[in-house]
Amino acid sequence: MLQLAMRSVRQRPGRFFATLLSAFLGATVIMTFNSMLDTAGASGVDPVSEESLNSAAQVVGGYGTLLVFFAVASTLTVNVRQRDAEIGLLHSVGATPAQIKWMITGEAVVVALVGTLAAVGPAVLGGQVLLEQFKDSGQVAQDVDHVFGPVALATGISITLLASAGAAFLAVRRAAKARSGTRRRGVRVRVLAGCAALAAGASGVGATFAMEKTEPMAMAPPAYGAILLAVGLAILSPALLRLVLAVLEGPLAAFGGAGAYLAVRNVRRRAAELSGTLMPLILFVALATATLYMQGVQNDAIKESGLVRTVDDKNLETLNFVIVGIIVAFAYIMLINTLYAATAYRRREFGQERLAGATPAQVMRMIGWEGLLLTLAGVLYGSLAGLAGIVAFTRFRTGSSLPDQGLGLWLGTVAAAAAATFLTSLLTAHRALRVRAVTAAAVIA
Amino acid sequence: MARRNDHEQTSTTAEALRLESVTKVYGTAGSAVTAVDHVSLSLPAGSFTAVMGPSGSGKSTLLKCAAGLEQPDSGVVVVDGTEMKGRSEAALIKFRRRRIGFVFQDYNLLPTLTVTENTTLPLKLAGRRIDRDRARDILTQVGLQDRLDHRPDELSGGQRQRVAIARALVTEPGVVFADEPTGALDTRSARDVLDLLREAVHVHGRTVVMVTHDPVAASYADSVQFLADGRLAGRLADPTVDAVAQRLAHLGDAVADQTATGV
Ligand SMILES: Nc1ncnc2c1ncn2[C@@H]1O[C@H](COP(=O)(O)OP(=O)(O)O)[C@@H](O)[C@H]1O
Ligand SMILES: [Mg+2]
Repeated sequence: MLQLAMRSVRQRPGRFFATLLSAFLGATVIMTFNSMLDTAGASGVDPVSEESLNSAAQVVGGYGTLLVFFAVASTLTVNVRQRDAEIGLLHSVGATPAQIKWMITGEAVVVALVGTLAAVGPAVLGGQVLLEQFKDSGQVAQDVDHVFGPVALATGISITLLASAGAAFLAVRRAAKARSGTRRRGVRVRVLAGCAALAAGASGVGATFAMEKTEPMAMAPPAYGAILLAVGLAILSPALLRLVLAVLEGPLAAFGGAGAYLAVRNVRRRAAELSGTLMPLILFVALATATLYMQGVQNDAIKESGLVRTVDDKNLETLNFVIVGIIVAFAYIMLINTLYAATAYRRREFGQERLAGATPAQVMRMIGWEGLLLTLAGVLYGSLAGLAGIVAFTRFRTGSSLPDQGLGLWLGTVAAAAAATFLTSLLTAHRALRVRAVTAAAVIA
Repeated sequence: MARRNDHEQTSTTAEALRLESVTKVYGTAGSAVTAVDHVSLSLPAGSFTAVMGPSGSGKSTLLKCAAGLEQPDSGVVVVDGTEMKGRSEAALIKFRRRRIGFVFQDYNLLPTLTVTENTTLPLKLAGRRIDRDRARDILTQVGLQDRLDHRPDELSGGQRQRVAIARALVTEPGVVFADEPTGALDTRSARDVLDLLREAVHVHGRTVVMVTHDPVAASYADSVQFLADGRLAGRLADPTVDAVAQRLAHLGDAVADQTATGV
């Protein structure tokens, strides 16, 4: 079966690019941060440097790992969903469900391993650059050398493997269940999983208040909380999308034309599939708003406490924003990656729509309206998850409920999310529309 | 709706479809396949033509070229007095959704739309008023009145095929191309569909070009056009089931002979 899996990887290199990229980037981020633990553990590192490195790795490495896990898992889920036709074909030529399950999972394992190995080089470089930042900000002594060791490698491989193989396994199982008509139970499991993630997120946010005022890791619980809330909302997004649709369907039907007509039906009837695309969008919005605002609040608090002198102060701020920036950038790339894969896959559908009489412009307008619905849902639910973390952390740090940072960061995040959604899907659709309709429609995906 | 269509009828030329030396080659150099080879054809408005030939003889390609879905490598295609060549994709699509109905061999229904929505989609896309009663009438005629709100993946192959036929007729097009429209149907549903196509010709004055394998289906047409290896291979007027079957058998022999002698 592994042989079959390898052949399948070789024959469709394009399809694996999106998953390979997500495994590669995810492993790079995880190993970059976790190499700080290797570095701190080396002999001859002074206690202050060790403490700085450990806490940074635990806080950021911790929620960063959680984010990577879900981002990689959602890419894999989208990928496996797209292979329904292929899975059905294997099924019809006599492959047993177990064989199919192992083939898809085996492929995911191969892709995760290759991605992680390719990430070692960049992670070593990234770790060195990050360590320099620590030194420049005075958090770590100048004589500490970067070490890329067992902790980085083990976390990189295990998290990436677990996320991709686990997601692939669940996705094929779900596909098999859908085929045998036991979908209802799947929905119940989904609701349960979503609620569990929401509960975990709420307790993460709540745990903020259990922290000591001086605790340097106080940002960790609300960040974890925001991510888990985002994941919970993403899992429940089929229902939430219908909520957004219920509000907007009337105006869209009245003013939107044929493009909106198709968009509304696509979103409503593919809500479950779309949750894979919505996941990275909600995650990005939640994570970007939560970490950027919390970091701002944290920096202000440090300034006010007068603990650090101004030069160090400035450097520390820079360091913190670099760290947060890496994670946010990762979430952003994953969003673009998933949107690209999801739109490129629809080449056949675009062909069918044109054969049924839709002009290329009407198909583009359909994509535009879908982008609007996705962006609205993603921003709404992502902001809610992020806000929960922000309010908890701000209350904890300053006693007031909302940070002084203003709406600028949030507006910037929303603009970035909207730009990624519209540009990626419209440009990808535009490219897909260059293929003649009869040719595109004839392709068996 | 019907009145508007009558008006269109008077303005159409007597010739519904003209092909002049149409050639379509797939692939490049070494692996090139000439799917349609210098085919010339003229079909009068209000005619019902069956196209028959062995599998791979170019029937589907001929239909796609005639409908402007495929660009011929050379030759001229004129539908309802309008030449297809040199027009933008958008212009062709707009022309097609007003004047041409196409029943695809693999149905080509959109999976997120219901039976009714799939059927009325061409009207919606053209910004035309959606006459739900008329859509229901057509769907009833093809026997789908109990399936209006089902989605394609909840239908059998034969039911999907009937949705595709309803969709091709709902815009009241001048020319209908149907690629094996009864291929997935049982005898009874096939007869209903063929009656519907014949009614489109004889009652509403449309022109129907239908690819089929089935001599019984072909006998519903006014004439049968045979195709072998991408080339026209004879025509049969007022076809009967027996006459068609006989010609097909000879056509098979001729092709086999050609292959055997390597011509
Ligand atoms: N998109 C395509 N690319 C390459 N070859 C094609 C394509 N479509 C059809 N052909 C080839 O052209 C020939 C005619 O095909 P087709 O028109 O589908 O025949 P028919 O409908 O009579 O069975 C066949 O040899 C087929 O393999
Ligand atoms: Mg064919």
